[in-house]
Amino acid sequence: MAAIESKDIRKIVIACDAGMGSSVMLASQVRKQLKGEGVEVVHTPVNSIPGDADVVLCHAGLADRARASAPGVVLIPFQVFIGDPAVTRLVDTIKKGGTVDA
Amino acid sequence: MRETAPLPLDPRAVRLDASAAGRDDAIAQCGRALVEIGAVEPSYVEAMLERERSISTYVGEEVAIPHGTLAAKNVVRHDAICVLRFPGGVDWDGERVTVCVGIAARGDGHVRLLSELAQILMDPDRARALREADEVSEVVRLLHPTEEDQ
Repeated sequence: MAAIESKDIRKIVIACDAGMGSSVMLASQVRKQLKGEGVEVVHTPVNSIPGDADVVLCHAGLADRARASAPGVVLIPFQVFIGDPAVTRLVDTIKKGGTVDA
Repeated sequence: MRETAPLPLDPRAVRLDASAAGRDDAIAQCGRALVEIGAVEPSYVEAMLERERSISTYVGEEVAIPHGTLAAKNVVRHDAICVLRFPGGVDWDGERVTVCVGIAARGDGHVRLLSELAQILMDPDRARALREADEVSEVVRLLHPTEEDQ
């Protein structure tokens, strides 16, 4: 199981199929919530997750493809695009400090 | 990254009173609205249906955001959004949808508008305003990115 300390998280990648719709919306939310934390938040298609991603967020239905695309990176699947508890937990951990694993 | 266009929402692509036989019909209508404003080639509609079958684009507050697949970016001519409202409701894999925000994007021209939509969905009063606005201009105004995002 991959894990990372919150202070080591510099880049969060939000992945979806086309990088066109849902990931864009979620990225804008997470970016706002993490304003001032020094964490870069980007959205990309699931097949082109950049190598410097520290944490990957993606819809549960894409988790297998994300895992294949970014092996060994902490992957957090979510179910809903707005207000998913897994996303809230990640944001809280980054703000308060702690370990993120998945 | 290129500076984004100010407003990809064309008022001609806003319909307040549409009705659909089901999810796929609603998506096809969104696709046709994007075709009509010259944003996509007709084949984009099939890509939207294909994308929806893989994972639902329902995002909450009776709103879905149908869009194409990665492969279909080739048939997008310019970034655009359409808003179709279905006051009678559409069964979206068990969720009720009354607002469809159809998306066509090859760049990031739609990002600020989607960001605004996300803000609206987290604010129940504004989400209701999006569902109930009586004028096309009001829908356009609601989705117009605020100063904070610019």
